[in-house]
Amino acid sequence: MKFYVNARYLIVPFMSLIAIAGILIGGSFAWVGVALFGLNTIIDTLTKNIHLPADFDETGESYGIKGFQYAVMFLMLPVFIVLQLVLAYRIFQYTSLTPIETAAFLGVSYEVGTSGLNLIGATLSSGLWAGLGIIYGHELSHNKKEGFFVSRLIMALSGASHFTYAHVYNHHLDLGHEDDAATAPRGRNIYAHAWLSHMGQSRFSYNLEKERLSKRGSSALHFDNRWILGYLYSLPSIVLFVWAGGLIGVAALFSVWVIANFLLEALNFMGHYGLIRTEGAVEHRHSWDNDSVFTSWFFIEIGRQCDHHVRGETYFWELDDVEGPNYGIGYFSLFVLTLIPPLFKAYVQKHLDNWDEKYASSEEKVIAAQFS
Amino acid sequence: MLNLFKPRPTSYAVRLSDTETTFTVKRGESLLSSALSAGIKWPFKCKVGSCGTCKCKLIDGKIKAQLDFGYVLDMSEIQDGYILACQSILKSDIQVSVNLTK
Repeated sequence: MKFYVNARYLIVPFMSLIAIAGILIGGSFAWVGVALFGLNTIIDTLTKNIHLPADFDETGESYGIKGFQYAVMFLMLPVFIVLQLVLAYRIFQYTSLTPIETAAFLGVSYEVGTSGLNLIGATLSSGLWAGLGIIYGHELSHNKKEGFFVSRLIMALSGASHFTYAHVYNHHLDLGHEDDAATAPRGRNIYAHAWLSHMGQSRFSYNLEKERLSKRGSSALHFDNRWILGYLYSLPSIVLFVWAGGLIGVAALFSVWVIANFLLEALNFMGHYGLIRTEGAVEHRHSWDNDSVFTSWFFIEIGRQCDHHVRGETYFWELDDVEGPNYGIGYFSLFVLTLIPPLFKAYVQKHLDNWDEKYASSEEKVIAAQFS
Repeated sequence: MLNLFKPRPTSYAVRLSDTETTFTVKRGESLLSSALSAGIKWPFKCKVGSCGTCKCKLIDGKIKAQLDFGYVLDMSEIQDGYILACQSILKSDIQVSVNLTK
């Protein structure tokens, strides 16, 4: 049981390595990361009706091995760094006009040089899998100092180091309230939310630092301003891609960051869309659960939002179904719907109606009525 | 140097100065989660170090802060020994003062 519980969360590490190998092998294999994303959407949709509870032994202890899960999460930092390095390597080959030819290494043939089309595939693959790094950046943002710093570095690879502070000090505190940039109000589409949430969280993070520094009598323009430091952590990526491909390198890195941040904001969008909270503590009803089996394992239980927001200190492998609001489908399937706003709106309406009727407090119902 | 080889305690004792209540905290667990497990009605809201509801005053002993308290507590509070229970891991037996009627 211990093996099963711990090994099931290795889908992303395993698939990230495949995506990296695809870019290294080159040719049409550069698109493997994109193909895997598509495959995952199919698996997630086919298994949408399977929902499993968390596993505990007869004494109530989780089977999750903390040391192992933390080692994996920490090791994902170098994995995501390698993902950027292999993309930069392909960009360098493209911009230096390296001839496209086949070579072999330890019996595995690979393509030297790359076409523009396959470079696009490598960039999309990198963006999608860098974006999935969010799940580790998120989990580590809630834990010990060392984990918090690794979270910042993982997010910095996507130019989003501000997330770690904004998530803890804004999203967890102001969830479901208009002060939380990451909560999407009813009627907003994912494209608008991605921009507004990203900028709102960055602004919050800046103001948080400004306030912290002013308490010490320091100006916001200070070497200890962690909002500035967060963006500085992204500098090595910028230098790498400028060196590797000049303007093409910058365009590729920008694409990776846009895709990765879009996925991050898509998770925020799906996790709380249209939910309302007035004063008082965060309760299960203020989040949507997405806990179909593939989503649970792939996204290391980040879809158990209802439990997570009430027990923010709880390790992901201990989060459970708390019978909160549930979309009934996984993140991959729902993500496809969000990309087509009218389709998402039509799908989500019945869930919002159900929330208004079964979960909302009387004050929350009053606010909900203003949206309809 | 020799301290590195000394076995570390597996738990620490907490004494609430106002009520003389005591409970233990396992190594690596937060002060708040252990207090709640011990049935103490410790005030809390977010459990992730962002709201400040679980703050208490460290009278004696050592803790390790998991997050920077400076975002939630004022400088004067930090200087007076205030800590966030949800983000405090114990490094010794401690004595704290907390308002349990909040």
